[in-house]
Amino acid sequence: MKKSINKISERRAAYIFVIPAVALLAAFLLYPSLQTIRYAFTDYNIMRPDRVIFCGFNNFVELFQDEDFWIAVKNTLYFTVLVVPFQTVLALALAMLISSRRKGVPIFRAAYFSPQVTSMVVVAILWTVLYNSSPDSGLLNALLVKLGLEPCGFLNDPKTAMNSIIFMSAWQGAGYQMMIFLAGLQGISREQYEAASIDGAGKLQSFLYVTLPGLKSVIQYVVMITVIQAMKLFTQPYVMTKGGPQNSTRTLVYYIYEQGFQKRNFGYACAVAAVFFVIVIGLSLGMKKIIKAE
Amino acid sequence: MRKRMVAVLLAAALASVVSTGCGKAKERVNEEGESVVTIWSPSDEPAIEEWWVEKIGEFNQAHEGEIELRREAIVRADSYAYEDKVNAAITSNDLPDILYVDGPNVSIYAANEVTLPLDSLFSEEEWGDFFEPSKQQNTYNGKIYAVGATESSVALYYNKDMLDQAGISVPEKKEDAWTWSEYYDVAKKLTGNGVVGTNIIMDKGEGLSYVLGQFWISNGTDFVNEDGSSADGYLNSKEGVEAAQFLNSLIQDGYANIDPIQKEFHNGRAATMLGGSWEVATLEKDYPDLNWGVTYFPVADGDGVLTSPTGDWAASVTKNAQDMAAVEEVMRFLFSKENVTTYAQAISKPPTRISSYGVLTEYNEYPRSIFKEQLMETGHPRPRTPSYSVLTAEFSEAMLNIFTGVDPQEALDAAAAAMDKDYAKYYAKD
Repeated sequence: MKKSINKISERRAAYIFVIPAVALLAAFLLYPSLQTIRYAFTDYNIMRPDRVIFCGFNNFVELFQDEDFWIAVKNTLYFTVLVVPFQTVLALALAMLISSRRKGVPIFRAAYFSPQVTSMVVVAILWTVLYNSSPDSGLLNALLVKLGLEPCGFLNDPKTAMNSIIFMSAWQGAGYQMMIFLAGLQGISREQYEAASIDGAGKLQSFLYVTLPGLKSVIQYVVMITVIQAMKLFTQPYVMTKGGPQNSTRTLVYYIYEQGFQKRNFGYACAVAAVFFVIVIGLSLGMKKIIKAE
Repeated sequence: MRKRMVAVLLAAALASVVSTGCGKAKERVNEEGESVVTIWSPSDEPAIEEWWVEKIGEFNQAHEGEIELRREAIVRADSYAYEDKVNAAITSNDLPDILYVDGPNVSIYAANEVTLPLDSLFSEEEWGDFFEPSKQQNTYNGKIYAVGATESSVALYYNKDMLDQAGISVPEKKEDAWTWSEYYDVAKKLTGNGVVGTNIIMDKGEGLSYVLGQFWISNGTDFVNEDGSSADGYLNSKEGVEAAQFLNSLIQDGYANIDPIQKEFHNGRAATMLGGSWEVATLEKDYPDLNWGVTYFPVADGDGVLTSPTGDWAASVTKNAQDMAAVEEVMRFLFSKENVTTYAQAISKPPTRISSYGVLTEYNEYPRSIFKEQLMETGHPRPRTPSYSVLTAEFSEAMLNIFTGVDPQEALDAAAAAMDKDYAKYYAKD
């Protein structure tokens, strides 16, 4: 008898504990998401919140014919497809470099991690200066000219602008993944390496057959979060290029901001956001399926 | 038992956060029973921040027991951060009583009934003391929707030493202002040794429309038609394309940088600059060693129209204002003869009241006299259209596209179409 009362009160306590989290999620995630979907079917202009008219699927019809939207989709995917492997490999390389050293590990760890603790806005402004297209002002171009090469347009050239952002983003973001890889590397026991070397494995072989399999779940996790983060690319184009030149760095999230807040087409921006949501959910589920199948 | 207590406390804390954090209305009456009037304006340099503190103190002392004036300084940065905040407040009906808005945005807020007409604020005689370009910018549909204390203008700054060395003399009368081809030749001659001939990019946001829009006007066209309903045939007209081609030639030929370093002219890295009237104070104060001068805004070849940019931030009263009598009292205080003069002095910008020039005599002397003369005789505000936010964003995008290789006609056609689409969607039916 006493036991069952305990059980009931325990269950009740559990519910009470869950309430704050659920309430927060409902207030700040669920409610806004539902509102977004509602507004996606209206002609809501930020300037006139009292004159919102339901307009059916108009926004979506417009969206699918909107060239800028498709460019934004393409740019976002391009960024993701390139930055994820680049950043992951860079992070793994840094982690291995550090874990193989004996001395000064904390210093290197802090150095590689420091871009991560710096605000992205600050990093973006600094790199805008580094990337300046004039060799008189931009450090990188000054270097290129010193080496006898042609100066590069970097952020001012539609061919190189997105790649410049990819490089700088990977540099900024790799520190965090490096820390996760470091933890993962420490989880692989020394005996496995010893066994491998007794079997005559070289450095490359022990990396391929001991390190990589040992890091499998870590790599899956890192790739997953990097993909989701990459899809949300906003700060870099906002600070560095304003989506230009010639649309080359306009990403989906930047397009949502631009339509919603700058041009005040809130209803339309909500429609883009709804489509974006479907794309991200689709990608995440797809990745999960691939991982599970393995 | 203890668990439950903790849970209840957590829930209570959450409930209180939710209830105070969201939907909290602006305080309209304070504990002393005074009517609270709130102002939002962009945060500015120390001299202006001090002006605000002093004037708010003065006002509150004089109206003790009746009105309490408050001001929130909001960071503007060089992009749209301030507008973002205003947009959010419009959505949540949480606007301050008095909102400072940038000149070309006056029409947007007015057309959407976010701000209220202010014609009755001053007598006709008193309005007559404010000069035309300023009133013109702040008028929409025949009514005044904002009052500004200061104006701005842009002229061509030049590095005297560099011009002397190249044997170039500058025009001294506005009728002799450099034509585009003369301006181009000067920029060409002065380029070299790590110095560019000129600087035409104030910033990559509003600065492009503010400064470069004048090239459209000078060439006999504008961004939009008379009533602000269409850009097609104006922005992308033959004259407009010529203006864009001219500006692009400065960039493509290497006589101006597409992304100039900060203070390029001030640091002797550009020989000339299309710079704002506020730069006079900066140059005098922070660059005493630079030998500089100012001449008139360049004019299109042939029958070019003499023109120069105008427009500055102005105060408007929002639809969320409550105690209108108190708000009007504040507005009359802020834009009194004395306060317009002291504010203009603090911010180093030309005042909007003609009578202020009787006190601020420095505007009768070179170099400030150039700006005053331009304001009074050649000033043209930016276009007045409720679709301005789309127009200006599209224009700066178009210019940056042109500077990086897109055909000017194509880029301007796209910008004009986007502006016209916005107007048709929201305002054509009003």
